[in-house]
Amino acid sequence: MATIEGFNFPDELHFTADHVWVKLDGKVATVGLTQFGQDIAGAILYVEAPNPGRQVAKDEAFMSMESGKWVGRVKAPVSGKILESNGELEWESDMVNKDPYGKGWLTKLEISNPEELNLLYKAGSADLAKLISAEKQKYNK
Amino acid sequence: MINLFHLRHVDWLDSQLIYHVLPRLGQEGLIILAPSSPYVCIGYHQNLEQEVDLDYCQAHHIPVFRREVGGGAVFLDGNQIFYQLVLHKNHPLAGGSKADYYQRMLQPVVDTYQELGIDARFRPVNDIITAEGRKIAGTGAAEIKDHIILVGNLIADFDYETMTKVLKVPDEKFRDKLFKSLTENLTTIKREKGRMPTWDEMAEPLIRNYQKILGPLEESPVTEVIRQEVEAVKHSYLSDDWLLIKRRDEKHRNIKIATDVNIIQHMHKAPGGLMKANYELKDEKIQSLSLCGDYFCYPADVDRQIERILEGRQLDEAAGILEEYYRQHAIETPGISPSDWAKVISG
Repeated sequence: MATIEGFNFPDELHFTADHVWVKLDGKVATVGLTQFGQDIAGAILYVEAPNPGRQVAKDEAFMSMESGKWVGRVKAPVSGKILESNGELEWESDMVNKDPYGKGWLTKLEISNPEELNLLYKAGSADLAKLISAEKQKYNK
Repeated sequence: MINLFHLRHVDWLDSQLIYHVLPRLGQEGLIILAPSSPYVCIGYHQNLEQEVDLDYCQAHHIPVFRREVGGGAVFLDGNQIFYQLVLHKNHPLAGGSKADYYQRMLQPVVDTYQELGIDARFRPVNDIITAEGRKIAGTGAAEIKDHIILVGNLIADFDYETMTKVLKVPDEKFRDKLFKSLTENLTTIKREKGRMPTWDEMAEPLIRNYQKILGPLEESPVTEVIRQEVEAVKHSYLSDDWLLIKRRDEKHRNIKIATDVNIIQHMHKAPGGLMKANYELKDEKIQSLSLCGDYFCYPADVDRQIERILEGRQLDEAAGILEEYYRQHAIETPGISPSDWAKVISG
């Protein structure tokens, strides 16, 4: 587990610049918000997850979250078909805040282009550390 | 230079659609307007049929709209002047946290209230309140395409009665509580100053104060490109597919009046019967609690006593207070335990 600026980044995950994590298991990618991402989002009141079967493209705004009357969009970290979304978040959206790498996972998708994973940040990389340091300054965290 | 769309009163639908299409056209802008006729507007994640009394709205020819911005259902009319700021996410003023953004971009609104002689102030995360702590503006935000949208209003006057009628409430008791809480916790320029301000009295300082942080603004009409885009999206924003999007089915009713004020109704099916609690939660304290249900109590006024002992107490103290109350009194409530009372109150 890498720790950057006090935030955890599990070794087995990949990360986007928008603070989304991806865990690959075969062709299935589980997606969530990083510990840093949920911290800057604030207390999450609503999560709108995509329906299974939907095709999403990398960087497409494919789901939304609301905190402080602010509707934020989550961009797909990789392209693929939605297999399942975390239905529990409909009732317990604060799981994204409490357990971002566990019960607060957002959605699972079947990836269509494994090459896209190479475009993501890896835990423990200097690039990720640089990104988080800059973001921490930007968000005054 | 950012465009200023100072439109005054416009068709109610335009009052929503113009700011929705600007980010799709890649345009920044500050829009100042008011709807020429009233309508009800719900937040992006809300369930229309659950939040709004559609029969009432239909009978009174009040249209409804789902915005892409967060927050709750509101009754909007021409006595509220709206500011809608569309900035690209890379604009120097758009950086930082949500809390910082709200504070920075709502300062012109606070300054405008000050110029109107109202001692308003910003309260995190996104409220503007008077010195007495009453809310005097509604605000919300959204990310659409690559832009951040901030919307809000200056409230010259407010139709409290219609607001409580357009919202779907469980019963009349809840509606009364909602009306009382709204009138106590939401104020207007008219109430604070004793008279209605003119449009220019509100718009002129609002625009000037936004110019202080945005720089000079270029006044612009609604261009043909914007008009065409509004026409192109109009149908989808009025479609049932959009308006009736199914959201989570709330077990409870919770209407947010201000950041720290909520009107709440919870229901709980205990072994001894169905229980219902209505109350106002203000600064995490229970106010005006009313309990009812088809349960049996001895003495018969146990629920009235519980209402009294919990009045003004912190919500998180309720369970302990109830346990203690049961310990100290000879109470019989078959199938209803202290934890059931705590559950119907806390939800």
